[in-house]
Amino acid sequence: MKSNIYNWFFLILRRDLLMASRRSSTYITPLIFFLIVISFFPIALSPDQDFLRSLAPGVIWIAALLSSLLAIETIFSEDFRDGTLDEFFISNDPSFVLVFAKVLCHWLVTGFPILLASIISSLILYLPLSSLLPMICSLILGTFFMSLLGAIGAALSLGKSAILSAIIVLPFSIPTLLMGTAAVSSAIDYQDYSGFLLIMGAMLAIGIPGLCLLTVEAILINYE
Amino acid sequence: MLPKLKVSNLSCIRADNQLFNNLNFEVHAGKNIEIIGSNGSGKTTLLRILLGLIDIGEGEVKWLDKKGDYNNFRSIECFYQGHSLGIKNLLSAQENLRLSSYSFGVSQEKIFSSLNRVGIKNHASFASELSVGQKKRISIARWLLKDFGIYFIDEPFSALDDQASSLIVEIIEELNDHGASFVITGHRPSRVTSNQISLDHEV
Repeated sequence: MKSNIYNWFFLILRRDLLMASRRSSTYITPLIFFLIVISFFPIALSPDQDFLRSLAPGVIWIAALLSSLLAIETIFSEDFRDGTLDEFFISNDPSFVLVFAKVLCHWLVTGFPILLASIISSLILYLPLSSLLPMICSLILGTFFMSLLGAIGAALSLGKSAILSAIIVLPFSIPTLLMGTAAVSSAIDYQDYSGFLLIMGAMLAIGIPGLCLLTVEAILINYE
Repeated sequence: MLPKLKVSNLSCIRADNQLFNNLNFEVHAGKNIEIIGSNGSGKTTLLRILLGLIDIGEGEVKWLDKKGDYNNFRSIECFYQGHSLGIKNLLSAQENLRLSSYSFGVSQEKIFSSLNRVGIKNHASFASELSVGQKKRISIARWLLKDFGIYFIDEPFSALDDQASSLIVEIIEELNDHGASFVITGHRPSRVTSNQISLDHEV
């Protein structure tokens, strides 16, 4: 039977999700890290409701960015070490699909739990209900973009120090951070936030093909 | 019959070290080639160059296509087994086979029969619970999943007992009968083939 792109995509996704589900630290660590960082703010600064509400968009977004990058270096390192990546490159299937499946898996394992935790954190930081929808929408778009960016960092730092990928990636996360916080702040002030979400959507639409192809190239550097 | 793979004048220099120089050989259907060399003689590098995982320095690697022409693009389905076997500790023996990139369109029966053939009886046991030798057996079970054209196996006989080594020879001969070829590496000549290339003299 001739393999096709969908079979190939679902095979990688299934395998990676199965392994992630058996290693609970992959999805629990970002979740706990996110909640701990959020809950430190009222303790360290002030429990004042208005003050926390004005800080909330920035705090939630910074915590989300950092926790989505917590385990990013593992996205390719294990497959690189144990030879699975060689197998992928030898089968004549498109490496683009491999990268996209792995990024999607990373997002489902780290980004998705962060979304759930952000609902709890909106209670801790007194976010109004009206800002819940833009926060979740912007986090979906933003954390997925961060997983894509993180994949490049992970590919460039294969076999090197784990923290290196986060250092490569974080400066490039500024546009996401700006748009994400602006969307949530606008919603708190009852202003139109759709423009920010559209820009984030556009970034993601360019990012999925563009960054996946760059990641393939970045992985191949390790093979020379 | 035309050889499946023709290698001519292949040379490789890594880190100012001439690993091999002017290598010429052909891989014919149903025949094997063994690359003999000591540690660091470039056996793994040679396999990776042939498969395109490392850029070719000098020389030519030409693959036979379906029309009977030779080109740089590999159209023959190949199997590569490096030192790291690509076995995931978090997956069971049968999951390791079913979710490997070699297993497209392979039936569940084929997976079970392949595992039985290499003597892995408990298909549900996790790879983390198995010994190195047993993991190697799972890896050998993957050879049997499909009819690959050429198998590139890096040191297939290391970390194996006599029984498993005989099993490998048996399986290689069986696959040879189906027209598959093996390019294997090793420190000393094995029973698999008399067609050997030594990298040690090249250095």
